[in-house]
Amino acid sequence: MTPILEAHDLALAFKGVRALNGVSFTVNPGDFFAVIGPNGAGKTSLLNVLSGLYRPQQGTVRFLGEDLSGVSPQERARRGLGRTFQNLELFRGMSVLDNVKLGAELAMGAYSALTPDTRKEWAIRRWAEEVLDYLHLAPHRHKHAGALPYGLQKRVEVARALAGKPKLLLLDEPMAGLSLEEKQDLARFLLDARREWGVTMVLVEHDLKAVLELSTGVLVMSYGEVLYLGEPGGVRDNPRVAEAYLGRSA
Amino acid sequence: MLFRLSQTLTDRWSRTFARTVRATYRQDEAYASTPMGRFWLWVALALLLLLPLLLPPYPMYVVVLIAIAAVGALGLHLLVGGAGQISLGHAAFLGIGAYTASHLAGPLAVVGILLGGVLAGLIGVVLGLPSLRIKGAYLAIATLALQFLADYVFKRWEAVTGGIRGRTLPPAEFLGIPLPGADALWYLVLLFAIPLFFYAKRLLSTRAGRLWYAVRDNDLSARLSGVDLTRAKLTAFAVSAFYAGIAGGLLANLYKSITPENFVLTFSIQYLAMVIVGGAGTVLGAVLGATFVVLIPEVLNAIVGAFGPQFAPSFAAWRNVVFGVLILMFLILEPLGLVGLWGRIRDYFRTWPLPY
Ligand SMILES: Nc1ncnc2c1ncn2[C@@H]1O[C@H](COP(=O)(O)OP(=O)(O)O)[C@@H](O)[C@H]1O
Ligand SMILES: [Mg+2]
Repeated sequence: MTPILEAHDLALAFKGVRALNGVSFTVNPGDFFAVIGPNGAGKTSLLNVLSGLYRPQQGTVRFLGEDLSGVSPQERARRGLGRTFQNLELFRGMSVLDNVKLGAELAMGAYSALTPDTRKEWAIRRWAEEVLDYLHLAPHRHKHAGALPYGLQKRVEVARALAGKPKLLLLDEPMAGLSLEEKQDLARFLLDARREWGVTMVLVEHDLKAVLELSTGVLVMSYGEVLYLGEPGGVRDNPRVAEAYLGRSA
Repeated sequence: MLFRLSQTLTDRWSRTFARTVRATYRQDEAYASTPMGRFWLWVALALLLLLPLLLPPYPMYVVVLIAIAAVGALGLHLLVGGAGQISLGHAAFLGIGAYTASHLAGPLAVVGILLGGVLAGLIGVVLGLPSLRIKGAYLAIATLALQFLADYVFKRWEAVTGGIRGRTLPPAEFLGIPLPGADALWYLVLLFAIPLFFYAKRLLSTRAGRLWYAVRDNDLSARLSGVDLTRAKLTAFAVSAFYAGIAGGLLANLYKSITPENFVLTFSIQYLAMVIVGGAGTVLGAVLGATFVVLIPEVLNAIVGAFGPQFAPSFAAWRNVVFGVLILMFLILEPLGLVGLWGRIRDYFRTWPLPY
């Protein structure tokens, strides 16, 4: 089985701040891979390197076996690398439906924009509705995304990303700021999507407990360094994690 | 176990529900899906076709001006309201269309107008290039530079533009039928305006609209959703300029004489005013805005007429002030423009006589 994502020896620094320092890990198809670490650990920087927004000073990223260096963010998205953001990045002035439709275009095949293709539009709409339905967003389809409550906006962002049928979806703290009930709902949606649509996921969290039982593999980071990489079962017993992370937050 | 079952049941139920709702999607996606809507669409079209029979010559001339301005405003609306870019050079593209049409006039009028649109669209791509690097006020200044450059070229490139004396056109013809006055030219204007109106609506409600709105709202997310920003922006500039070029060609055939004065900055600003006054977001707004902006001077002239010609010079001086104040009022009091105003009036009457 070829891994879906291989990060090798990534390093990234901002004027002296080492955001990533020799980070390597592998994600296999079907994984629900958790990246955990306190605030400032470098989790968002890692996702930005993976999705092509930051160029690492060292190291390589391979996606579906191909080296991604020099590949633009939009091309990575088209190849099946999806992404959601920690701070909401919705198209606020667009309806929920249009947000999801824009994502759906990645999956349904784009057409030349100046010659509207009714058949393609129809297919995009149907798939977008399926995703909306799946995430229980259908009643909100015609509302402006920016006008929704925070929890729903987060869900719209997940819907937009899932609508693109990504092969790998990078989720940056999708649970942050949600109520317990919303967190459980979202976790269920994500697990269902993984099972039904075969989406492999990398989920970033600062709360260790929230994701440990869901994940198939875990990377724990602190100050840009890898503290732990492996099965979720081994995290709690790891002395480095206990010292750097659990010790402080517990 | 019971939980699982109830969950499966609710999921099954919501799927079935979604399937029934799906039948109604078709209605969202069509323009006039209800029989009533279709009826009014045909009434409106019939009215447009009969207009020259119903209106005296001068009001008809003003209506033709409005329709031409609406085509130009639609183009700018796609760019400003759609892709969130700004342009102070819209009049320059009207000029490109107008001068092109002046060379292919009379029996070739339709070809000349179309070619003017295409040429303007191509040059629109050039105007779009700065938008790839800069935004907002800086982009406004860059487009202003193009406006001034175009002014200069229109005045100096005498072989093509006739310099400051400009160019004159013979009456347009369509399939051998001469279209001498505004009432006859009206049909040529409709030939372009109606399809362009529906095309603009269609563009905004399909992929092009989504790409443009995405660029307007969040370019980071747009990129990570696979949107090619360069392409989306340049397409918006090109389509916008194409509409302006068509409007310019129609205007040249209406005026039958054009000079650089017809395409100066003032008109670029008037087009922006149409888009702002018309209100954010809708194609109909651009048309209402065009109506409003074209009618202001006419109404002011009528007032002057009522007071007597001796007041004309002082009123002329005040005209631009009134114009400016009205635009400011819209910006401050009714940011959604005429469309927003109309929506509120409608809501008021819908709930009348019981507010809330
Ligand atoms: N664009 C940036 N410019 C400068 N420093 C940055 C930038 N992005 C992140 N950093 C720094 O890199 C470190 C890691 O940040 P981040 O990746 O956001 O962590 P996390 O997502 O784990 O909270 C922090 O010290 C942060 O200040
Ligand atoms: Mg972060």
